[in-house]
Amino acid sequence: MHYNYLSPSITLIRLVFVFAALCFLSSSVLADTLTMKIDNIQTATGKIMISVGDANAFEGKGPYALQIIVPARTGSVSFTTDALPAGSWAARVMHDINNNNEMDSNMVGMPKEPWGMSNNARGNFGPPSFADARFEMNGDTALTIKVEK
Amino acid sequence: MRDTHHAGRRDFLRLAAAAGLFAQLPRGFADLGADDAWMRSFNDALAAEPWLKAFRSATKPAFAANAELTGKWPAGLTGTLYRNGPARHDIAGYRYHHWFDGDGMLQAWTMSPAGVIHKSRMIETIKYRAEMAAGRALYPGFGSVPPDPAPVSSSDAVNVANISVLPHHGKLLALWEAGSPWEMNPDDLSTVGIHSFSEDTDGVPFSAHPRVEPDGTLWNFGYVSGAGLIALWHIDPAGRLVKAGTVKVEPMTMPHDFVVTSRHIVLLLPPLHYRLEGEFRSFMEAHVWEPDLPTRVLVVDKNDFSKVQWLELPASWVFHFGNAWEDAQGVIHFDAARAPDPMAMINTFRDVMRGIRSPSSPSLHHRYRIDTNRHTVTEEAMFNPGIDTEFPVIDPRVSTQRNHRLVMLHSDAQKPAAHPMLSGVAVFDDRQEKLVTFSYPDHQIPEEHLFVAAPDSEPESAGWIVGTALDVKRDRTLLNVFDVNALDAGPLATATLPYALPLGLHGKFLVS
Repeated sequence: MHYNYLSPSITLIRLVFVFAALCFLSSSVLADTLTMKIDNIQTATGKIMISVGDANAFEGKGPYALQIIVPARTGSVSFTTDALPAGSWAARVMHDINNNNEMDSNMVGMPKEPWGMSNNARGNFGPPSFADARFEMNGDTALTIKVEK
Repeated sequence: MRDTHHAGRRDFLRLAAAAGLFAQLPRGFADLGADDAWMRSFNDALAAEPWLKAFRSATKPAFAANAELTGKWPAGLTGTLYRNGPARHDIAGYRYHHWFDGDGMLQAWTMSPAGVIHKSRMIETIKYRAEMAAGRALYPGFGSVPPDPAPVSSSDAVNVANISVLPHHGKLLALWEAGSPWEMNPDDLSTVGIHSFSEDTDGVPFSAHPRVEPDGTLWNFGYVSGAGLIALWHIDPAGRLVKAGTVKVEPMTMPHDFVVTSRHIVLLLPPLHYRLEGEFRSFMEAHVWEPDLPTRVLVVDKNDFSKVQWLELPASWVFHFGNAWEDAQGVIHFDAARAPDPMAMINTFRDVMRGIRSPSSPSLHHRYRIDTNRHTVTEEAMFNPGIDTEFPVIDPRVSTQRNHRLVMLHSDAQKPAAHPMLSGVAVFDDRQEKLVTFSYPDHQIPEEHLFVAAPDSEPESAGWIVGTALDVKRDRTLLNVFDVNALDAGPLATATLPYALPLGLHGKFLVS
């Protein structure tokens, strides 16, 4: 299995930059918008990290098209962006409760922090594939992704 | 905590506690009749082959009765025999394709001067509750894939808690092989929930055959096939995690049991290798028997899981070990019921589910020696050819220490039974190299028998052999008590239930 939850190269500084850039981009009225709601957040501690990419990004062979960080809030957080071009994408979300910018896993590789994927894919004898989590960005699009351990 | 290997995020697997399923309650014990080929085939064969009653589903989700006693119950024998085993083999007309897929049913045989009281109850795992709510089989199992299976997001989502049971630190744990222990209420046998030893180890597999030292110190392993890891557990007598770690194993295999000495942990890793290629069928079918490759012997230092030795033996298959101990020269001694191949699991325990009697290779008891200084290992048969053994146990007071006696089920090729299961119980003493046996009548199929120590006796000197059997003629499950020093005289006493239960697997005796 080749799977990276979120690129470890993500740094807080870079994410803050992306977040700031998104605030700017969201003022555009020309592109289609993606609205994401991250649901089932159990604690306001830490942050919600979202990565949207194509199949290459999911297999660790290329960059994500979009990486977003938002502070965690009990319940749900939502945001809208027009930074994602039309196409086939999948989203990974993790709740980085301890703010170490990584998906913490136990000694046999099981995640210790809540996570979710587009389509709320949970995998079958292993992590979900790109195909399991794929969504089409074709016109204004709304996703709700549940995070859980 | 010592992790000798970190799997890393790429091994991210077996996810999600699926806790939401707990909210759903069972709708009833679903057995709505036979409409698949395996069910029809089994039911057709059952009419002609009464021994197949061993593989029927339990007819109810819970039973309770006072057993009928015959013979003379030994005054010192008080306590509870807890047993576990697969008991729901079909759901809404779909019959599992492997004996080991059935959902676990816990039993308690409580013995007191007032008599023997029996209770049994289905273990309400996440998987059991979800399937009862759905009214159908939902998930792929060890050797079965029902129609239109739901995705399996974690091993505990399909954990059927059906292999063994362990009373430890005041708790009662029902054990599967590839998932977490389930805590059970020891009195009413209700399901409490998944037992956590620590947050860091939640979800890490905990096998059905932990080894408990006489002081209560517990050791266990668990295999994580997708990650190619054997997890190791060290738990103190109070149930606190002392340490856990992993050993990388490539190719991965499927060990069922292991042994522990005063200094070492020993696993035999049969060449039944996890080769997940192409379409996933069942977990068992994701394994390939590769007899040209060796059985690897993994020896791990109890104090430091990173210190390992690897040795090799010819290909073989072992379900169960009796005991292990280590002498002053650093030689590890242990015994096991050794088969030349895993055909019993791969074929026989699959075919019984459709009522087919298919042969399996006999398991012959072997003794092993590992010289940890010279890095050598040997194996030799203990009994004459034709004596087939399984379910070896010892007096628990000598666990991980020098033992002389073994209690086990056996069959004798010279005296074939009417059924293909093991047909007798045996006790062996290595001081006289003597095997004493008792053969059950043809219509009774014995299950695991345990060595229960007599109060205040010296280890291995006195006690009882306590074991259950299914009487297919009278449709009754019974429990027999033998004097461990006079097994061949037959049962001292018998407790018979007014009902029959399907054949189970393992148990433990908790002295009251």
